Amino acid sequence: MSESDNSTIAAGIDRRECDSCGTPLERGDLRCAICGKAAPVLNVSVSNAETIKILRCTGCGAAVAYDPEKQAPSCSFCDSVFEVETIEDPMEQTEGYLPFTVAPDEARAQLQKWLSSLGWFRPSDLSSSARVQELKPLWWVAWVFDADARISWAADSNQGSRRSAWAPHAGTTEVVFDDILASASRGLNAREVGALSSGYDLGSAKDNPENAEDATIERFDVQRSQARKQVTDALEQMARLHVKGSQIPGTRFRNLHVSLVLQNLVTRRLSFPAYVMAYRYRGQLYRLVINGQDKTLLSGNAPYSMAKIAGVVGAVLGILILVLLMVAMTQ
Amino acid sequence: MAADVIAEKVDYKEISCQSCGANLLVEPQMLTAICPYCASPSIIQRPPTENRPTPVFTIGFVVTEKRAVEAVTNWVRRSSLFAKAAFRKAVPELTRGVYLPAYLYNAVAESTYDADIGENYTETETYTTTDKDGNTVTRTRTVVKTEWRKLRGRHVSYILDVVVTASKGVSNPALEAVEPFDLRALRRFTPKMIAGWLAEEPSRTQDECFQFAHGEAVEEVGKKLKGFMPGDSYRNLQYQTNVSQESIDLVLFPIWTFAVRYDESKPPVQILVNGQTGRVGGKVPISPVKVTIAVVIVLLIILAVALLFMAGR
Repeated sequence: MSESDNSTIAAGIDRRECDSCGTPLERGDLRCAICGKAAPVLNVSVSNAETIKILRCTGCGAAVAYDPEKQAPSCSFCDSVFEVETIEDPMEQTEGYLPFTVAPDEARAQLQKWLSSLGWFRPSDLSSSARVQELKPLWWVAWVFDADARISWAADSNQGSRRSAWAPHAGTTEVVFDDILASASRGLNAREVGALSSGYDLGSAKDNPENAEDATIERFDVQRSQARKQVTDALEQMARLHVKGSQIPGTRFRNLHVSLVLQNLVTRRLSFPAYVMAYRYRGQLYRLVINGQDKTLLSGNAPYSMAKIAGVVGAVLGILILVLLMVAMTQ
Repeated sequence: MAADVIAEKVDYKEISCQSCGANLLVEPQMLTAICPYCASPSIIQRPPTENRPTPVFTIGFVVTEKRAVEAVTNWVRRSSLFAKAAFRKAVPELTRGVYLPAYLYNAVAESTYDADIGENYTETETYTTTDKDGNTVTRTRTVVKTEWRKLRGRHVSYILDVVVTASKGVSNPALEAVEPFDLRALRRFTPKMIAGWLAEEPSRTQDECFQFAHGEAVEEVGKKLKGFMPGDSYRNLQYQTNVSQESIDLVLFPIWTFAVRYDESKPPVQILVNGQTGRVGGKVPISPVKVTIAVVIVLLIILAVALLFMAGR
């Protein structure tokens, strides 16, 4: 056993990494979730001589044998069951809460600002007559991961095509993914997560939520194995985006296939602050979500002014008819 | 065959029961022994060697003996129509529930491939034909044609959870017939898990198992590459695979083994039951007589239909 192993045991910290791909192993992992390599055993006892023994119950001294009914080793006499180290699959727990740096009043003001910035097609009195019904602080949950990926891809593109519209292309590329966010939130939809996710200071995480009196605190509601699947799916999605964006030559493509291997996949589970605002305009409720650390990042919906849209459509039609008439007259 | 078996001397090991002191003879590849006098389950621990490493993981038995017997009896009764009649009537004989040694293999595969990729395009071509009045006319039609383009590329992927047998008693195809095992239920190996059960040590060399695993890995890359090819079609796919970051861990899998003896003159048929999932696998002896009869009947029917058809014209 190496020295570093000893020191981690001494510190009581279960921080191990996969020997082969560098992905951290967590408590209860028997194997690396990415490459399948067995986790190193911490307490190895290698006997150099052949030994023959009968395993005895610590309670009553009778022989212990594995029992398929109990799916565990069990004492034949007193029915005690012995635990064996197995793969644990606990529910995901957040590792930290990023604090709010935007005050509720600022968020309210931002709503008014946003409403008046939406453009001409919205009702003229939207900003003045919209009433905030509720402003709720929310900590939503997501995984943040880093990984080095080696990506191989193959696709058809219009570049280099001859008689057919398509020509085959293939390539490999290496990408370092840094602080990629994959949402685990049930409360926010994909559009809202997309709008909020860039402006957070990931280094500011605290152990406990601050000023959380009336806040909604989301929890991860998936198990670790499922979470890992979602993270690797997100990684594959990122790899596809990267290949689409910067690797495939030409302007059009089809049949994109991507296969990747990872090194040093590190995942953090964090809770992110946001304000969820409900506002009322002419009896109708609308919703706006604002990043709790950067108030300019927000996503929401707002009404359109039907009268204005109808007016424009009418005007355009009128002009068209006029033009047609003029064309008809000149001919 | 028979001469071989006799010639192969089994090097029995003599141990004494730690409970009653009786002397037991143990086969050299066994990790456990059960005393016939006092039923005490002994565990034999040997220093690990290259070809007999200490098991890393094990999966515990879930299927009880009773359930295994039921599963096999049903399986034999419901075996193929073409199975020998004596086989379907035979009573399967439980030989034992054993922890079978097998290696769990994982690796990263890097391959280079060459293929011809077919890209389709349509062309309008003119052709001449005769119309219904017998005149020669020229017409046009669109046809799909394929342009073949060479593609050379690289492919990287994980090869995960390849299982290969390490026991001479069970072949790879026989083990595959009762796979898969649910690897989420892996436990860290401890002698407690095999106490009271039979457990074998590997009887194949690690080299041989590596070869098996490597072969399966290359096969798997081939399957993945088929799905990786762009274009509308492909041909002449050839590839070369290098594996790295290989890991090979010895796992003890729970297996119930049965023997079905349906003919005194033939060796018994081995049937395995997955001790975790209850899946049954084995090679059913096919009756040549039944197959011949079936073929003859089908031929007769075809002949009869043909005759009827001819008669009808």
